[in-house]
Amino acid sequence: MSNKHFRIALAGNANVGKSVIFNQLTGLHQHIGNWPGKTVEKAEGTLHFKGYTVDIIDLPGIYSLSTFSIEEVVSREYIATEKPDLVINVVDASLLERNLFFTLQLLELETPLLIALNQVDMAKKKGIVIDYEKAEKLLGVPVVPTVAVSGKGIYTMLETAIEVIEQKRKISPLKPRYGKEIEERIEDLTILLSKIQLRYPARWVAIKLLEEDKEVEKEVLEVSPEIVATAERFRDELVQLHGHSCPTLVSCERYQVASSISDEIQEITEPLKPPLRESLHIVTTHRVFGYPIMLTAVLTVFIAIFSFGDFASGLLGDWFFGLKPAFDAVLGTGIVGKLVWGGVMEGIIGGITIALPYILPFYFILYLFEDSGYLSRVAFLMDNLMHKMGLHGKAFIPVMLSLGCNVPGVLGCRIMETTRERLLTAFVVTLVPCAATSVIILGLVGAHVGIEWALALYIINLIIIFVLGRIAFKALPGEPTELIMEMSDYRMPHIKTVAKQTWFRLQEFIVMAFPLIIAGSLVIKFAEVMDLLEPIANIMSPITVTWLGLPLMAGIALIFGILRKELTIIMLATLFAPISLGAAMTSVQMIVFTLVAMLYIPCIATIGALAKEFGWKKALLITVFEILFALLVGGIAFRLLTI
Amino acid sequence: MELPLTELRNGETGVITSTDFGSEPTGIRGHKARRGHWRRHFMVARFAKRLSDLGLTPGTKVTMVKSAPFYGPLEVRVRGSRLAIGRGMANRILVDVER
Repeated sequence: MSNKHFRIALAGNANVGKSVIFNQLTGLHQHIGNWPGKTVEKAEGTLHFKGYTVDIIDLPGIYSLSTFSIEEVVSREYIATEKPDLVINVVDASLLERNLFFTLQLLELETPLLIALNQVDMAKKKGIVIDYEKAEKLLGVPVVPTVAVSGKGIYTMLETAIEVIEQKRKISPLKPRYGKEIEERIEDLTILLSKIQLRYPARWVAIKLLEEDKEVEKEVLEVSPEIVATAERFRDELVQLHGHSCPTLVSCERYQVASSISDEIQEITEPLKPPLRESLHIVTTHRVFGYPIMLTAVLTVFIAIFSFGDFASGLLGDWFFGLKPAFDAVLGTGIVGKLVWGGVMEGIIGGITIALPYILPFYFILYLFEDSGYLSRVAFLMDNLMHKMGLHGKAFIPVMLSLGCNVPGVLGCRIMETTRERLLTAFVVTLVPCAATSVIILGLVGAHVGIEWALALYIINLIIIFVLGRIAFKALPGEPTELIMEMSDYRMPHIKTVAKQTWFRLQEFIVMAFPLIIAGSLVIKFAEVMDLLEPIANIMSPITVTWLGLPLMAGIALIFGILRKELTIIMLATLFAPISLGAAMTSVQMIVFTLVAMLYIPCIATIGALAKEFGWKKALLITVFEILFALLVGGIAFRLLTI
Repeated sequence: MELPLTELRNGETGVITSTDFGSEPTGIRGHKARRGHWRRHFMVARFAKRLSDLGLTPGTKVTMVKSAPFYGPLEVRVRGSRLAIGRGMANRILVDVER
C-alpha cells in the first residue's frame, strides 16, 4: 500500500448529516453506483488533502450492524472485509444515546475509528451541551465537533483522521463490556472462535452468535458446528436467567452502556419555548390538517412541474427540430438520413425533452422534501392505505414518484427494507399512471369522450393497482413487514447536497434510459423505413382488431408506446391525419385503447430500471404479465362496452 | 398495570416490560399462527431486534404522542428520538403504566 493513499468510510445513523459531510469532503469528485450485486447505493469520492489522496466511501445510513436490512449487511461486510484505513462515525449530537449504540457496534468490529459529533449547533439550540474531551476519554477514540452544513470542523476532522491513520496519534478504543452473565459467555465463545479462521473479529462473532445473527451463524456452522451448538446452549441459559430473548438482551445491555456514556458526557437543559419545527411536525402529521397539507403539497409540486415541463419541453423540442434542415442537408433524405434523424436524433430529443424539463425539477423537489424530513411524515400518514396492498407507509413515496415517471419510482423502491418488499413495490409502481399515461388518458379520452370517463379510467387503474398489489403480496413468499421509521426533526435542506443528489440521479436516468430509448427508436424507424409497419400491424390484427376492436393502425401506435407512452397518441394522430382523432375512432375504441396503453407495458426505460434493480428475468416477467393483463382487461372492456 | 403500547393514551408514558411479543405468536388479528409458524417466528424475531436496535428495549421509557388516523401507525418518543411504529407491532410491545 502506498503511504499517501488512504481509504476512509463514513458510517452512521440515517439523518445525521452524513451525506452533507460526504459532499463537503469530496465536492464533485464523486461516483455513485451500486454495491456489487446489491440494490444498495454506493457513493464514493476522492479528495486531495495536504498531499494525501483519500478515497471516501459513504456507507448507507443504518441504526445497527445486524441483518435487518441489506444496508446493514453491506456496511458490516465492507468494514470487516475491505478494512478501510479509518471509519468516521458521524454522530448526531442531539441524539447521543441512540447514536452511541451504533458507535459501540463499530468499536466491537475493532475498526480504527474517529467520531464526528455533528450538528452540535442544533444540539445547543435544544439545550444539549457535550463535553468532548470526556467523550474522547471514555470512548478512547478522537471526537471532533462538526457542523456539516457550514463546513465547521471538517478541516480538523480530516487532520485528525490523517493523524490516526498514520498512527501519529495513538488511540485505545473502548471495548464495550456487557453484564456478568453475558460477558462470561461472550468470552468463552471468543476463546473457541479465536481457534478458527473467520472474516470478522472473534469477539464480534461471539456477540453476534448470542444475538442469533443468521448470517454469522451460517458462516461459523461451515467451519465448526460445535461452536454454534455451544452458542445455542448459552442463549438458552441466558433466556432462562433473564426472561427476554437473547438478541433483545444484548441490545438492552449495549444500550445501557450507551446510555451511561451519554449521561456522563452531556448536559441537557430544556429549551424555553417549543421551536418552530415542533409546531410544523404537529401540523403536518395532524389527523385532520395532515392530509389536506399533503395533498396541497403534492398537487402544487405536480402542477408546477407539469406546467414548467410542458413549457420548457416545447421550447427545447422546437429548438431541436429546428436542426432538422441542417441534418437533411448533410445526410440527405435517404435511408441513412431517415435512420439518423428519425432513429438516433429523435430518440435523443425525446429523452432530453423528458429528462431536463420534467425529471430534473422532479428530483430536485423530491430531495428537498426528503432532506427536510417531510417524506417520512407522508409515509406516516399513508401507512394505513399502503397496508391494504400489503406494503407499508414508506412504499407511498415510490408510488408518488411514479405519478411523474415510473423510472424514479422503480429506483425509489430502494427505501424499502427487504428484497421482497422492493419487488412488490416496484410491481405496484409500474402500474401507476405516469405523466405520459396521463397525457393519453386526458388527451384521448378526456378530450374526446368526456372528462368523467377519464376520471373513471383513473379509478379503474386505482382499483387494479389495489387488486393486483394484493394478489402479488399473497403470491410472493415471505412475511409482511410493518412500518418502523424514524421521523427526524425538520430541518433546512442543504441546497448543495440536494443539488448534487439531483445531478447524480439525473445522470443515472440518462445513462440507463437514453441507450434504450435510442436503440428502440432506431429499431422502429428501421421497420418504418423498410415498410414493415403495415405487415406488423396486420400480424397483430387478430389481437388489436378482433379481440380489442381497435382500428388496424392502433397496433402500430402501441408499438411506439414501448419507447415512451405518450408517443401512442402522437402516432395515432399522425397515422390518421388528416382525419382528426375524434372522427377516426369511436368512443369505445378510445376507451379500450387508453386502457390498454395505461396497463400494457412499462415503457422501455422502466423495463431497464426494473432490470437494473431486479435482473432481466424479473423485469421481463413483469412486462409479459402486464402486456397479457392489459390485453385481457382491454378485451373485456370492449365486450362490456358494446353490449 | 401492564398494557400493549397501543393502549397508551396520548401523552402517556410507560416503561417497556417486554418486546418479545410473547412465546406464542398470536398474529395481528389475534389468531394463532400454526402454518408457517417458524417463518412467522423468524419475522417476529427480526422485528423485535429492529425495535431494540432503535432503542425500544425492556426498561426503557416510551411516550405515546399520537396515532395516525384510520387505525394507522403510532408516533412515540423514545430515548429522545421520534419513531413511527406500525400498529401490529406496537400491539406486541408491553408497557407498564401507572394509572
